[in-house]
Amino acid sequence: MGAGDEDGDVADFEASDLVTAALRGDKASWEALVYRYSGLVWSVARGYRLSSADSADVFQTTWLRLVEHLGRLSDPGQVGAWLATTARHEALRIARGVTRTVLADDATLAALGHVDDRSPERAALEAEQARLDAVRADDLWRAFGGLPARCRELLRLLVASPPPSYLEVAAALDMPVGSIGPTRARCLRRLRDRLAGDGPDTASRPHGDVSDTASRTHEDD
Amino acid sequence: MKMTEGEEMNVHSEREDAELEEELRRAAARFDPVPGELLRAAIEAFTWRTIDAELAELVFDSLADQDEMSLVRGPQQRRMLSFEAGGLTIDLEVTRTSSSRGLVGQLIPARQASVEIRVGASVVTVDVDELGRFRAEAVPAGPMSLRCSAAPAEPGTAVVTDWVSI
Repeated sequence: MGAGDEDGDVADFEASDLVTAALRGDKASWEALVYRYSGLVWSVARGYRLSSADSADVFQTTWLRLVEHLGRLSDPGQVGAWLATTARHEALRIARGVTRTVLADDATLAALGHVDDRSPERAALEAEQARLDAVRADDLWRAFGGLPARCRELLRLLVASPPPSYLEVAAALDMPVGSIGPTRARCLRRLRDRLAGDGPDTASRPHGDVSDTASRTHEDD
Repeated sequence: MKMTEGEEMNVHSEREDAELEEELRRAAARFDPVPGELLRAAIEAFTWRTIDAELAELVFDSLADQDEMSLVRGPQQRRMLSFEAGGLTIDLEVTRTSSSRGLVGQLIPARQASVEIRVGASVVTVDVDELGRFRAEAVPAGPMSLRCSAAPAEPGTAVVTDWVSI
């Protein structure tokens, strides 16, 4: 674990610095906040399987809220958790309101997968290896789409870019920080099972969930 | 790996879990990235920043606060919202059609003011009658906030509401 600040695990005080500077009107700090937390906010909406239009509303409303609340955060260092909580409330509201909401089914999600992205990394992925990776990513994404809701919500958040902290994930799902680790392990196992074509049909096999706790020897906070 | 024996080894190390998670992160970035136009919109949101107005926070939302019984009746066509700042309450009823929204609101206590409806990138200004009421038809769906101008008697007390998706 490096002290590098280039891989998304910047210390908390920097978040509060960004909030303070944005509050003074510094647009660059605001942009930094957007880049740092937009993956988290988006993954909250997507975890609830809202349609694209509704996910967009959740995303935009959450950021607009923050604009007005910058000076009112009780803990500016936890602005990520605040955003996650706000996005969750907004997503639940929209899910209830059935505004433009059509709950996305697996097929829709899978189809969404083929919307292109234009990340810079993409350009580098031209070779044969990339093609193989794409096939694997496809399989992985489909297997992920078939997971139970709880697992999908949790994993979708955990794999946001940049990776959110457990505190932020806990805020997004309204679940105790302590249960994230064990649930994550269980959900990754299910994902692995599905990937192996080992779907719910094998559910008759007893689940050894009791032993889960023993396997969690450490958990970073 | 200190595990219970018995089941065939479908136990994976933390390292393998982390690898699978990273792989899924790449898949998510590929298949479900934050849309570029939304990133730009979030950056632009900063221009809505108000420094000269009081914030009226959302204190009631029939969508969030209604009981479970009313939920089973299906989609609500009317939504009640209430915002509060210092001495001002703004009640708002939102009616929905598939693509647009109708708003009927009231300022309590009534004040002589104009109300700006900020939605998307546009602003619509409506008048407030002597009872503090205002209305707007065919407002687009999406994030919305109201800005209520200062009462002539008390300059400097403009109020903006929390943003909500309508």
